[in-house]
Amino acid sequence: MHATDAIDLNAFVTTPENVRFEYRIAGPFRRLPALILDFAVRGILFWILLILMALLGFVVRFSGGIAILLFLISWFALDWFYGLLFETFWNGQTPGKWLTKVRVISVDGRPINAYQATIRNFLRLADFAPMVSLELFSPDAPPMYVIPTFLVSLLCMTMTKRFQRLGDLAAGTMVVVTQRSWVPPHIKFDDPRVESLSGHIPANFRMTTTLAKAIALFVERRARIPNVRRQELAAYIAAPLLRQFNFRDDTSPDLLLCALYYREFIAKDAFLDSQSFASPPPNAPEHRSPTTDSKASAATISASPVAAPSIAAPPIAAPPPVLEPTPRSASDSGPPGKVSP
Amino acid sequence: MKISVLLEQRRLGWNELDKMCSSLEGIRFPFQRNGSLVARFSSLYRAACTDLSMAEQYQLPPATVEYLHRLVGRAHGLLYRSSRSSIERWVYYCTVITPQSIFRDVCVKVAFIVFFGLFTLSALLAWSEGTFPGYAERILGSEQIEQMENSFNRPLAGNFDQYVAMSGFYIQHNTSIGLQCFALGPLILPSLCALGYNGVVLGASFGYMTRSDVEQGDVFFQFVTAHGVFELTAIALSAAAGLRLGLGIFSTSGLLRMESFRLNAERALPIVLASIAMFFMAAFTEGFVSPSPLPYFAKASVAIFSSGLLMYYFVVLGYPTPPIQLALKHHEDNPWREIGGVHAAR
Repeated sequence: MHATDAIDLNAFVTTPENVRFEYRIAGPFRRLPALILDFAVRGILFWILLILMALLGFVVRFSGGIAILLFLISWFALDWFYGLLFETFWNGQTPGKWLTKVRVISVDGRPINAYQATIRNFLRLADFAPMVSLELFSPDAPPMYVIPTFLVSLLCMTMTKRFQRLGDLAAGTMVVVTQRSWVPPHIKFDDPRVESLSGHIPANFRMTTTLAKAIALFVERRARIPNVRRQELAAYIAAPLLRQFNFRDDTSPDLLLCALYYREFIAKDAFLDSQSFASPPPNAPEHRSPTTDSKASAATISASPVAAPSIAAPPIAAPPPVLEPTPRSASDSGPPGKVSP
Repeated sequence: MKISVLLEQRRLGWNELDKMCSSLEGIRFPFQRNGSLVARFSSLYRAACTDLSMAEQYQLPPATVEYLHRLVGRAHGLLYRSSRSSIERWVYYCTVITPQSIFRDVCVKVAFIVFFGLFTLSALLAWSEGTFPGYAERILGSEQIEQMENSFNRPLAGNFDQYVAMSGFYIQHNTSIGLQCFALGPLILPSLCALGYNGVVLGASFGYMTRSDVEQGDVFFQFVTAHGVFELTAIALSAAAGLRLGLGIFSTSGLLRMESFRLNAERALPIVLASIAMFFMAAFTEGFVSPSPLPYFAKASVAIFSSGLLMYYFVVLGYPTPPIQLALKHHEDNPWREIGGVHAAR
């Protein structure tokens, strides 16, 4: 986690509970839609106000002047206080930010306060600079410099670590993604071969953290990968492991990774060091090849994440049945230790 | 205990926390009147924090760790809110911090010298026809001058509706210009140019109208006397706030550049808030008093009264310098921030 600080889009926050967790930072391509949405919301509010005040002025007829005053003041407020008020009272979100699922927070992880919201919203104009005149589009247009180019903010974002624009720098804030991540897939293996194959993996084999991560990433996503591609991807990691474990070469790579996942993340004791993981499941059949354990061609592995969208997993192309038991005893497998994918 | 069993157990707590987050999001003070809710929420949050910190040791799957990061982040944002500022704090900020920081600010002095210096110079040049013939015409343009003369041809009069509507216009228009002046501050030059431009143009108008051969001069001064004090000060102040921002980038006085920028933004804020308040006061004076057919004496009294008000606020309230203001060397020292708040490590 620490090694990837430099290139990640993550900002780390240490809480008073002394936990270091990360926020994902929203980049310009996530923030531009929020800006456009906010602009649209402001436009709609502006027209609603205009109609409301017109009604107030003409229908109620108590004073046209007051209607105009109210309208102009609310126009001014919409222009300058829209973001400020929303971000202050809505915990760092405006309607546009809410729709695009981003939020403004302090760089130290605390929610922003009124002061920070004021600074970062007042400085919006400098971030939009330099403005381009309307004359760019038609020579008859008045020389009004109203079209923002966002060059200052883009420059600023590229030069800072947390994609901060000028207003963010002045206020000490950053924009983070608040999107809920999917519920962690709850992986169960229906295929008994996974469990039995995991029993044949040498007991003294220890996975490195990176290998464990790579395998987990693969297994959590494999339900959405077509079978052929699945085998191809898994082979990169599985091929050297098959050799190390002295398994048959035609063992399905996908199956091996599932077995490793099962061993590492499901069956293992949570509180013990992985060194002490010793005995294979007692019912593991020693004399049969794990790949031919069940009716080979009919068996399917469905590692279906419980809550994640899943496509029905196609059956693993099972290798042809073999007659000889292949796994040798764990003692004559290669030296235990690191295997890098 | 097997990891899968452990996950099953923890998942219940996470799901509950997740549901609570979803239902509480969007409420400004979700725990205000609900002690048992905050107790339950924080215990669930602490449990999730513990799970996250133990994730490496448990060897949880990466997707679960990722999920925990998000969950803890959401709960953290709900649990730690910015506290509401009390009334006393705001009163303290408005009556002590603001006038004192403005009174001591170098940028305010510079902006005032630039603005009123250019204003006076331009007024003198426009007034004396002999020194620079055609100065006023070249600065303002003949059309503008004609328009100005036309608008001050009749004696001042109006009705309530017009007064109210014009106040609204001045609020919207002038305050926006002032805020633009501030917002462009980090780029320095646009802010200075706006300040100089306003000084020169306003000065030229004043100088031109003072000429003895311009008949509309009387009506013009009847119009501008009352609100001039507030408006001219407000323009200078908003540019001063912008300058303060821009200066922070270049003159860091030993701090990191970004720290200095933040500190100076914090120091610029009271200045720009004061200028907004003044723009509002100027707008109402300009809307109600200036175009009214009141005698000149009354309008001059308004001007004198407003000058006295500004003097009292900036000089009498601003002069004493308590140690807290001098000690404001780091942006965390700003009294606006919660005192004794949780300072998370950066």
